[in-house]
Amino acid sequence: MKIPKALLGAILVGITVQTTC
Amino acid sequence: MNGKELHPVGKEPEILSTIACNLDADILSAAFPLLEEGRVEAIEWSFDTLYWAAQVPYWFTDLLLAYSQQSRLIGHGVFFSLLSGKWTKEQQHWLEQLKQLSSQYSFDHITEHFGFFTGQNFHSGAPLYVPYTSTTLRIGQDRLSRIYDACQCPVGLENLAFSYSLDEVKQHGEFLEKLVAPVNGFLILDLHNLYCQLHNFSITYEDLITLYPLNRVREIHISGGSWEASVLEPEKKVRRDTHDDAVPEEVFHLLELTVPKCSNLKYVVLEQLGNGLKTESSRNRFRQDFLKMEALVQKSRSSLSRQDDNLFLPVQPLQTGPVVEDDMLHDQQLQLSHILETAPSYEEARRLLFTSSLAGSDWKIENWAPHMLETAVSIAQKWKR
Repeated sequence: MKIPKALLGAILVGITVQTTC
Repeated sequence: MNGKELHPVGKEPEILSTIACNLDADILSAAFPLLEEGRVEAIEWSFDTLYWAAQVPYWFTDLLLAYSQQSRLIGHGVFFSLLSGKWTKEQQHWLEQLKQLSSQYSFDHITEHFGFFTGQNFHSGAPLYVPYTSTTLRIGQDRLSRIYDACQCPVGLENLAFSYSLDEVKQHGEFLEKLVAPVNGFLILDLHNLYCQLHNFSITYEDLITLYPLNRVREIHISGGSWEASVLEPEKKVRRDTHDDAVPEEVFHLLELTVPKCSNLKYVVLEQLGNGLKTESSRNRFRQDFLKMEALVQKSRSSLSRQDDNLFLPVQPLQTGPVVEDDMLHDQQLQLSHILETAPSYEEARRLLFTSSLAGSDWKIENWAPHMLETAVSIAQKWKR
């Protein structure tokens, strides 16, 4: 299933936030 | 939400390659390239792991909604403790939360685990076996009806990884079918759980799989696990469903054998906990496992024979009366939990069990395999809080 690019970007930031802020 | 609107009669579902996806940076990091490539066809969310959270990040909610809007979000409960003898305020709260979530998301179905928890208030730990009796059947059917009442979509149960005896293993599928019958529910067939049973009780796949109602399997789980040495029987290793490693080749083989037998299969789910996905190599392995699962699913799509067309919704309106409880079962579960959580050794656990009210009862503790009682002590003490 295709995920909108904006959502993918937000998920990537979210993962970074959880890992690090 | 009316679940029936999501399932027009006669609509033929295909099998969807799915991942168990929770709010966990390690799981999401491992799965991200698969999401980016559009390969993840559905998501299974352990919704009750976030019941305690004050706020869920908007991006995770958006991810769930994206799948929900395509009717490709499935909910997998963890902490309900379906077969506890006594109804608890935690169970009532769990249902209220599920009802609220079901108004926010369109779950294609909701599932829970067979068994009861030994942990605090029976809502933490790992699910353990209960006897297959008319009492536990009534309790389980009552709880599943309440879950359906809260979510208004198909409801299913997962087979248990843990058993104390070969007889329990052989009767598990039949009892699961009886439990889900009133809600016209379905089964999750967890193939790693099945693998645990095959190994721990030296039974063949051919002998065990025929004892499951495969026409009721709507979902299959695959995952990894771990081996635990038995102090009692040093030559014997116990297979445990710890979800912290890659999928063994044997489980992929079970998947290949099993998919063609399940005429109502819709979801094949790869599960792994975040604590096993902290290194880049483990994340790569997770993605390789997904691609292997995806290939098997795609291969099976063309050959799967769909003779049934079960939408797994109740055929008649459900009537939920007073909550079903059983004081004796509750008391036995309290005793068993206390023994498993506090016994300093297998020998002491066995001695205490034989002086408890479980002796000479439907629990059939006299038939429990020593290496599995030893494992139960280990599990209960691991999750004791």
